[in-house]
Amino acid sequence: MKIPTKDAIAPLRFTSLALAVLIVPALLATGAARAQTPSAEEARLIEFGKEIFKSKAVCQYCHKWDASGDQGYGGNALSLRATQLTPEQLTEVVKCGRPGTGMPYHDRFAYTDKRCYGYTREQMGKDIPPAGNDFLSNREVEAVVKYLFARDVGRGPATYEDCVDFWGKDTKQCDPMKPK
Amino acid sequence: MRTKTFAGAFAASLLAATALNPAHAADVTNERLLNPQREPQNWLLHHGNYQGHRFSLLKEINTDTVKSMRLAFSVALGGFQSGGRYASGALEATPIVEDGIMYVPDGWGSVYAIDVTAGNKGVFKWKMDPGTDRAWAGDVACCGVNNRGVALWRDKVISIALDGRIFAINKATGEVVWERKIAEPAIGETLTIAPLIIRDLAIVGAAGGEFGIRGYIEATDLNTGKMAWRTYTIPGTGEPGNETWKDGKDRWKHGGGSIWETATYDPETDTFYQGIGNAGPDYDIQYRPGDNKWAASVLAVSPNDGKIKWGFQYTPQDPYDYDEISEHPIINAKINGEDRKLVVHAARNGFFYALDRTNGSFIAGKQYTDELNWTPGLDPKTGRPLNYDPNTDIQIYAPGSHGMRGQPSVRTCPTNVGGKNWEPSAYNPQLGLLFIPSIEGCNTIETLEQKDMEDQGGSAKWRERFTGGSAKTVQRLYGSLKAVDPVTGEIKASLKMTYPNYGGALATAGNLVFMGEPDGTFGAYDAKSLQQLWSFNTGTGINAPPITYSVNGKQYIAVLAGSRQNVNIYGLAPEIKNMAPASMLYVFAL
Repeated sequence: MKIPTKDAIAPLRFTSLALAVLIVPALLATGAARAQTPSAEEARLIEFGKEIFKSKAVCQYCHKWDASGDQGYGGNALSLRATQLTPEQLTEVVKCGRPGTGMPYHDRFAYTDKRCYGYTREQMGKDIPPAGNDFLSNREVEAVVKYLFARDVGRGPATYEDCVDFWGKDTKQCDPMKPK
Repeated sequence: MRTKTFAGAFAASLLAATALNPAHAADVTNERLLNPQREPQNWLLHHGNYQGHRFSLLKEINTDTVKSMRLAFSVALGGFQSGGRYASGALEATPIVEDGIMYVPDGWGSVYAIDVTAGNKGVFKWKMDPGTDRAWAGDVACCGVNNRGVALWRDKVISIALDGRIFAINKATGEVVWERKIAEPAIGETLTIAPLIIRDLAIVGAAGGEFGIRGYIEATDLNTGKMAWRTYTIPGTGEPGNETWKDGKDRWKHGGGSIWETATYDPETDTFYQGIGNAGPDYDIQYRPGDNKWAASVLAVSPNDGKIKWGFQYTPQDPYDYDEISEHPIINAKINGEDRKLVVHAARNGFFYALDRTNGSFIAGKQYTDELNWTPGLDPKTGRPLNYDPNTDIQIYAPGSHGMRGQPSVRTCPTNVGGKNWEPSAYNPQLGLLFIPSIEGCNTIETLEQKDMEDQGGSAKWRERFTGGSAKTVQRLYGSLKAVDPVTGEIKASLKMTYPNYGGALATAGNLVFMGEPDGTFGAYDAKSLQQLWSFNTGTGINAPPITYSVNGKQYIAVLAGSRQNVNIYGLAPEIKNMAPASMLYVFAL
């Protein structure tokens, strides 16, 4: 039996052709979405996703507040600003984690059946990713993915305004990024 | 060989003479701090005494009576707000008790004075909230929102906050008399350590070994509220040890060597013994060729001027994050008929060490963890790892035990968190046993090439993690309680525990050892057999060391509970995954 690893998970295995097919339209779609003002419901969902990224799932512990990736006790976490995943693929990674890495799964029933990459816990063996800080409902996963695509994915380096949007104005946190 | 008892018959006679009734709090003088055994009703110093024993002469609660111990009362504290990278604050403090008043901080630095004289409830006397900028400080805390305790000096409580400030607080009213900034979160520094008071100095050090700091120990003159001295743990140009940073690019300026647990102090030689943290970056040793002094070391320091008397490095060029900040108990012993002054240490690297505290020479060392694979042992003369190679600038140690760029470790035992992390040991001088709460198991390390910091022309920015990779949990970790002969390191008794220890131990003259666990279990253990004699589950994880005190002659055991465990623990222990953080003080009595 072939165990999927971080280099060989079906949804993460791309040929250059697949990259062109999948990602370019996704980025275009993201860019188009950004140009539009989100509906009230979308805006609520994005704010809800921010709170999950920040506090409930504490994604920022490993990925940093701006999702630019980090190292250290959380593991070598990838940049979500530079990710080439589509929203659907990112949703799968949030739910199922990344086997063989520290990226946790957040679907409470992941690996109890074959919903994640077609593997059960037993089949996954030692490559099973850790369980997340808190499990997330489908609505929460949708929100955090929506938030990431609205604020981080496909964007360049975070700005002072991005920082204030994330942390608020009652902290020195963004001072180092203030335009001089 | 038999260890001497610090607290002898003299202390026992004083115990009878000392007023056990709660009195109006007197000044905490140098004389009192030098002789805490004269007032066992109190817990005046972080480690119980300067020697780091965490031992109490109280014995109303003992191996016979402990079975009838029960919860006397609990108190809900604050401080679990989110901030920075953390969803909640945590509790790691050792409470201080003087004459029926307990002084304890939460993770964000609020200090609570709690009247515990009633015995069936705690009554808040005051609360001092320093108004910590939680996002600012919490974003550069490596491992949780922590504050390991306060200290008493004269009529003041001395406390710290994560954002780098130290405070002198009126003990009676909770009013801040002065505060000063020591650590600077703008460059990745924080404070989490309980201050060590020696005479009129408060000694602390900066945490931030995962954020590219250059560590230091700093003394504040408590009479003036100004800095008395600062000694860097990573030597600068021209200082002894700087030659062990062989990169040629001044990378010692970000060399780590953080400080985050209180030193022990030997009044006989007027020296304190400070454990020093990991080198920075943690894992990428190709970034920092050489031995990287004084990371992963102990320094013997003069309190008056901060001068380093000697140093001993446990893991030269530490590639494992074997941060050695934890306590260094002071013990006198007769070895081969000769009186010896020892400083001992259960190291994060998995070995127990006994050193001559007058000169730092190695006396004995022995593995105390169940598994250790990075070296076959220690050189009996020097205490250096047997496979240390003096002719190379990049230590391999056991091949595959640490990562290199592009080549993760195969298996690292003990894990990067130890061995023994910060959680303090306890020493029963009457039995001559040191109780080590350990973390058992192995993991792996994935090393990444560390980029230079921005002030050295690189792309790594201040306040960003500076670790040169990460550790990865690959198996469920567990814990042990080990009773060790502190002269030889011989394990006299051992108890396997379900969870790795992060809480620390207390030893008492009732021949008991107390300890809390990540699943909320608070247990009492027979000091000789380590058999569990009693337990209570607090319902929330315990990451803090217990203490004991008495009021009106009645003995109490106190511990803080409520920390959310990290993914190293619950990631593979699903039964405790959903335990919520809380912020509680639990107090037990017969």
